Amino acid sequence: MIFQNEPGFPGSSHDSPGGVDLGRVWTSVAAEVWRRHPGRIERTAARLLRSPGLARALVTTPSLLLPWLISTVVVFGAGALISIGPGQPLVWLFAPAAAAVGIAFAYGPGIDPAWELSSSCAVSHRMVLLTRAVAVFVLNSVLGLLASAASGAAVALTFGWLLPMTAVSALALAAAVAARSAVVGAGAGVAAWVITVLAGQSASGQLTASVANAHAYPPYLLVAVCCAAIVMYAVRPERGLM
Amino acid sequence: MNVVLTGIHRSFGKNNAVDGVSLELGPGVFGLLGPNGAGKTSLLRMLATVLPPSSGDILLLERDPRGPAARREIRRRLGYLPQSLGYYPSFTVVEFIEYFALLKEMPSAAVPNAVAAAVERVDLGAKAKAKLRTLSGGMLRRVGIAQAIVNDPDLLLLDEPTAGLDPEQRVQFRALLRSLGETATVIVSTHLVEDVGTACSEVALMSAGKIVFRGTPDELTARGAGRGVGDAPLERGYSAVLSAARS
Repeated sequence: MIFQNEPGFPGSSHDSPGGVDLGRVWTSVAAEVWRRHPGRIERTAARLLRSPGLARALVTTPSLLLPWLISTVVVFGAGALISIGPGQPLVWLFAPAAAAVGIAFAYGPGIDPAWELSSSCAVSHRMVLLTRAVAVFVLNSVLGLLASAASGAAVALTFGWLLPMTAVSALALAAAVAARSAVVGAGAGVAAWVITVLAGQSASGQLTASVANAHAYPPYLLVAVCCAAIVMYAVRPERGLM
Repeated sequence: MNVVLTGIHRSFGKNNAVDGVSLELGPGVFGLLGPNGAGKTSLLRMLATVLPPSSGDILLLERDPRGPAARREIRRRLGYLPQSLGYYPSFTVVEFIEYFALLKEMPSAAVPNAVAAAVERVDLGAKAKAKLRTLSGGMLRRVGIAQAIVNDPDLLLLDEPTAGLDPEQRVQFRALLRSLGETATVIVSTHLVEDVGTACSEVALMSAGKIVFRGTPDELTARGAGRGVGDAPLERGYSAVLSAARS
């Protein structure tokens, strides 16, 4: 028999002759047998994020294989971008944006098969996206640390890109949880990163030279156009603001 | 009233997907019929708070979904089965339903029992620990139904829920719908008129973004007397109303 409407399920009220609701008993037994016991990381994350749903999203992020692979490739690609153009504030500011767009694409409506369903849930899908970004950076940082232990070639990428971005994304998520707004969290992350990069450039006297470099104008313009296009795409009516 | 729509419009470019729909619905099973492209899915997506209307007002569970706090509360009490529901292949049946129960902000302590009850209601107990990648299309559809009902929703939106179900499963599913409709507002979008005839207390027929008929299944059947085409009386009523709307 399928789609049962039997005792123990909502809408039913039949008890056994002994007054015991056998259906309810069976459901409790099944619940106990099927119950998944969250690990320590998930329990801790649930407390910190004040949401078991976000904690579950955090720990299951790598299990969504295709989005995970795309995100990882983008994150390492952005890291490589930084190593190609060191000293350019443009590159330092553009790289996190490229990584964020890549992660948003990988775990967004284009790739995530259950995106539509997630969008109808009480936990904001933007918060879920922010959580997934943290998971991507944390796990890649761990991989980076392991690679650094094995080879010095990975040290710059790990300590110059992966670990700082992990900190920034964690800060963004913390701000988002505190403010109950993913937009506020993303803003806090961006602000922290921009201040850090520009402060570092100013301290070393490179900022003025980089900004005044005429050769940098075309890429600056390109980035500005890309950012404008992303904003327009994000807020267009068909996407919805709900 | 759990659903109050006033002059809802939704356009995609120059295409009016939903064109001036007004509805008021309380508890019961409400069937949304119409041909492909009639606007059923767009209307359902707006009710699921996934898609905002271009214009018009929506009240769901006596709240306006435009406000973030109200929208969050609506979503806690909402069940939604999209037309094309994607799955995470590496999740088990229980893990998938549990994940969405948590995203619906159900209390953690209530989740295991609610998941077990939902799994049993769609008779997937034998597959509870199976990975989704191993299930058939009909079973996956039942997983989708289970995640939609796991929070015992006050507003349940089902888009083509019987797609992929075999005849026996469809009969049982209709019984489940009637049971759910005793307390909740259940809106079923389908192009299968037999689903509507046996499960729904009321039905609306959409064509070109507009509601061109609203009444009971019997009233729709009566519209087809001596007119329309189809094997079943309800199908003849459906085709007669649709022909009249198009002419």
